[in-house]
Amino acid sequence: MTLWAVILAGAVAAAFAGVMLFSRSLYVSAVCLLVVLLQTGLIFLLRGAALLGFLQVMVYAGAVMVLVVVTIMATGGEPEAGFARFADFSFPRWLAFAGLAAAACEVALTLYLGGASSAPVSPADPAMAAGFSTALFSSYALATEAVTLLLFLAALAVLPDKEAA
Amino acid sequence: MTSAVWAVTGVLFAAGLAMVVLRRQLLAMLLGVELMLAAVNVALVHHAGLFSDAQAMAAVAIVIAIAAAEAVVGLSLILRVLRAGRGVDAGGLSELRG
Repeated sequence: MTLWAVILAGAVAAAFAGVMLFSRSLYVSAVCLLVVLLQTGLIFLLRGAALLGFLQVMVYAGAVMVLVVVTIMATGGEPEAGFARFADFSFPRWLAFAGLAAAACEVALTLYLGGASSAPVSPADPAMAAGFSTALFSSYALATEAVTLLLFLAALAVLPDKEAA
Repeated sequence: MTSAVWAVTGVLFAAGLAMVVLRRQLLAMLLGVELMLAAVNVALVHHAGLFSDAQAMAAVAIVIAIAAAEAVVGLSLILRVLRAGRGVDAGGLSELRG
């Protein structure tokens, strides 16, 4: 029964990806990407990967997209003519209403499925969760360490250097 | 279910690839890369659910972390390029300078 919820989330994600592709405003593109990432997080949740869904929402839709939007806004005040696309912070009303309507439909569908006999969200398999943690710290241990180092280096990348200061 | 998820994955990846190829703004290209990574994550999670493959879920967690680091480094590079006055388009970055 999660099929219709997955299809709805996927359709919304695909529609907003299309808007993101054809919109000239970078701000609209960034907000559309935020909606796409939220929908993919919902698909993760519906497919039984709750931890990955929360990671997707917190890391991607939370931290990274805030960084992107703040970067666009920070560069929006530049006077050069080529920066006009950065300074456009208007968002189409019909798109906002479409996103809100889709969110309301998804909530209603989830509540309806929750009231039905089958669960709206596939329950996480305990063996799968154990295998996930085992894989992360055994066969993927080197990759996990490398990613940790990469995140540390990424934190260094945002520090201002002496010349810029 | 499977065909629907594969269709969503394909559409999202194609849209991200088109953004990287067709648009010239550096930030738009970065957003396209993020979209492609999200599409790959959807495919991996669906694969993990189909075959109870915990390795695929671990791969998704690593991809999410790598994507976050890539976004931070990419945004800092774009800001540095903007401060250097080399424009917002990828066309202005055709030469390397040592």
